Amino acid sequence: MKKDNFVRKHILPLVHQKAFTLVCFLLVLVILFSVWSGIVGKKFFSTSTFINIFQSIVVTGFLCLGSACLLISGNVDLSTSTIGCFGGMVVAVCAKNGMPWYICILACFALCAVFGFVNGILVSKLRFPAFIATLGMTSVVKGLTYLFSAMGNDGVAANINYNVPVLGWLGRGKILTIPVGVYFLILFFVIYGILITKTRFGMKLKLIGGNPLAANLAGLNSSRTMIVMFINAAVLSGVAGIFNGARLGQGSLSALATNQFTGMTAAILGGISFGGGIGGMGGAFLGLLILNTFQVGMNVVGINPFWVSVFSGVLLLVALAVDFLQMQGKGKTNKRASKEGK
Amino acid sequence: MQKILEYRGISKFFPGVRALDDISFKAEGGKVLALLGENGAGKSTLLKITSGDLKADEGQLMLNGEELRLSDPHAAIKAGISVIYQERQLFPSLSVMENIFSGELPKTKLGLYDKKKLYNDTKELIAKFGLNIDPQEKVGMLNVAYQQMVEIMKAYRRNSDVIAFDEPTAPLTDIEIKVLFNLIQELKKEGKVILYVSHRMNEIFEISDEIVVLKDGKFVGTYATAETSEPELIKAMVGRDIGDTYSGLSRNKNIGDVVLEVKNLKTAAIKDVSFKLHAGEILGFAGLVGAGRTETVRAIFGADAVLGGEIFLNGKAVQFKAPKDAISNGVLLCPEDRKEQGLVMWRSIKDNIAMPSIDKLSKFIFVDQKAVSALADKAVEDFSIKTPTVNKMVSELSGGNQQKVILGRWINDQVDTKVLILDEPTKGIDVGTKAEIYQLICDLANSGIAVILISSELTEVINLADNIVVMRNGRVTGTLAGAEATEESVLALAMLN
Repeated sequence: MKKDNFVRKHILPLVHQKAFTLVCFLLVLVILFSVWSGIVGKKFFSTSTFINIFQSIVVTGFLCLGSACLLISGNVDLSTSTIGCFGGMVVAVCAKNGMPWYICILACFALCAVFGFVNGILVSKLRFPAFIATLGMTSVVKGLTYLFSAMGNDGVAANINYNVPVLGWLGRGKILTIPVGVYFLILFFVIYGILITKTRFGMKLKLIGGNPLAANLAGLNSSRTMIVMFINAAVLSGVAGIFNGARLGQGSLSALATNQFTGMTAAILGGISFGGGIGGMGGAFLGLLILNTFQVGMNVVGINPFWVSVFSGVLLLVALAVDFLQMQGKGKTNKRASKEGK
Repeated sequence: MQKILEYRGISKFFPGVRALDDISFKAEGGKVLALLGENGAGKSTLLKITSGDLKADEGQLMLNGEELRLSDPHAAIKAGISVIYQERQLFPSLSVMENIFSGELPKTKLGLYDKKKLYNDTKELIAKFGLNIDPQEKVGMLNVAYQQMVEIMKAYRRNSDVIAFDEPTAPLTDIEIKVLFNLIQELKKEGKVILYVSHRMNEIFEISDEIVVLKDGKFVGTYATAETSEPELIKAMVGRDIGDTYSGLSRNKNIGDVVLEVKNLKTAAIKDVSFKLHAGEILGFAGLVGAGRTETVRAIFGADAVLGGEIFLNGKAVQFKAPKDAISNGVLLCPEDRKEQGLVMWRSIKDNIAMPSIDKLSKFIFVDQKAVSALADKAVEDFSIKTPTVNKMVSELSGGNQQKVILGRWINDQVDTKVLILDEPTKGIDVGTKAEIYQLICDLANSGIAVILISSELTEVINLADNIVVMRNGRVTGTLAGAEATEESVLALAMLN
């Protein structure tokens, strides 16, 4: 009898939570790859694999963080990885010109913030669809990255190598065998998690994401919040760019490639809705772990990397389909309700 | 053979509302039949059933003696029924001829569409109606009147037996109306059944042969246009018993000083709107849909741009740039569309109630969740919102309880309420909860809050308001004392030129 109560009170609510599903899914992946790798004579379940997984989530993790916040506010940014690439190049150019590491980082943040601000103005004030505005921005930033890299290089765009000890430590250093970037990423996720769930800004963010029109009529400043979130996503892209560049000691023209989609995939896998206003940082982090466990696991068992890309895409489509079906279910009840209204 | 469209015992139910109740009448070919009734009388619902957008719950729709079973608008078009709505259903980026023949473009032997034949057929059609339109012009480039003509030609081309017009003259000038009426006369001569929905009395007398009056979803009667008069029709539209809903309310008797004064307010949608609102007063706004009532309060609230005029709050000139400014000055709005503008549907009751007070309920940057819950719990109690917990999503509440959540947002310890604007507060709410909300509104006035009440239900405005501002076409056409106002006098100001 007592046991029954315990189950109903503590276990059942847990089962209904999205986080529970995600953790289960993650465990299933770990078990699957452990068994699979055993069969093909490789080893998945080891410390080095898990460090590898964590190492691989650092860069996409920061992009995911920015995208997740933006998705919660009801927007989307396709330009994050190009902005990150630009940010990495800014650091490289500054470092090559002998500036100290903190100036490099500040310059990177400041310039990325400008792009975020422009994105925010285009979407919130000029009412551009976020897809279009940020897609245009992608091309603008890409061109600027090339121009910027060519500035100190006789007009030829090229990757720029640099060697700054602090940046090198950020990118390649380890504490207790775990890469430094991982600590930063977890710290950031915790801070943003608190920001979203505990602070007044987070509460407003979710309400604005859920219905900007109603939020505005209730006295919240929707457009200002949206601009802040676009700047936030751009600066976090800069952070991703810094960690990516610092690991290689290079400002690369092809850095981050299409990682903005990986970041978004992780966020959506983690239960952050494309419709805005729903989801949290814990889910996004689990989504990130699932995605990377999946990719590293595929590598360990020796699947052709091209197939890994195919399967990752399928995973995104499945996550989107689940989100879409959930929203459509809600949309249906909503439509029915509004018909009642007439 | 004469064409006849017949409604036999049509009923339509929405939860809590009987939108149409046993409607029966006939519309004969070669005559124009006008549908007349107040907002919410059921005209739109009836048109939607005619066009296949809605299905009747009871009754039959007969065309030329055969029962129609319309599963969707496409089926209605196939059966020979065209409904021309206010919102035109054209493709603006396609040409006139492509629009008129959309769905049935003539084809050449190669399967491509025959542009020459299309052009000539369209030209012929345009000439038949005595219009001057280039068949190749993009529809989006035409003015509203001509777009409507294209719509009519489309209906004609489909060889529809029944053509229904929903408020066709609203966007038209007098000359364009003349052209439209000539077209309708042409259609009449060809023996088509013509339904004509309009609020404009003078037009109805000009164009129609018969008038069917609806009231509260019920059929009142058919009147021959030549034998009836405006007063008789208005009486037919409003003459209903109001019941006891209003007599039991405890009304505020002490009306205080002027709280809000609006002078010559002007926006893109309204002109020269002036009125005064006193403490403890319920000021009703009456008018047809689109008369400018919502636009007026949105402008006061800072949601729409103000182009001219002055607003005084407690004697001080104010100009709110955003809803936030209005709220901090105690001017609050419950918007007309709860789901689109009022609530964040997929968040909790408590989040929705605390929405404007988040900053006040926070310590440093952190939200005091206990204070939020306490605020919401109190609102749930004060307004008797039916829910087990304030953590429930508002989407799971009924319309009446959702409306109470919005009231709870504005009437609590955290908000200093001076002026409360209610835009259609009882829309889509069942009768029982309506009465509850009426008493809430009276209680608010009793506590000294100045209330603006916009409602398309005339009885509501007349029975609740101390004074009534009537608007038409973006202007105030008159102000009546609530005690003296009758539905006839309000309707006369709202409808007649």
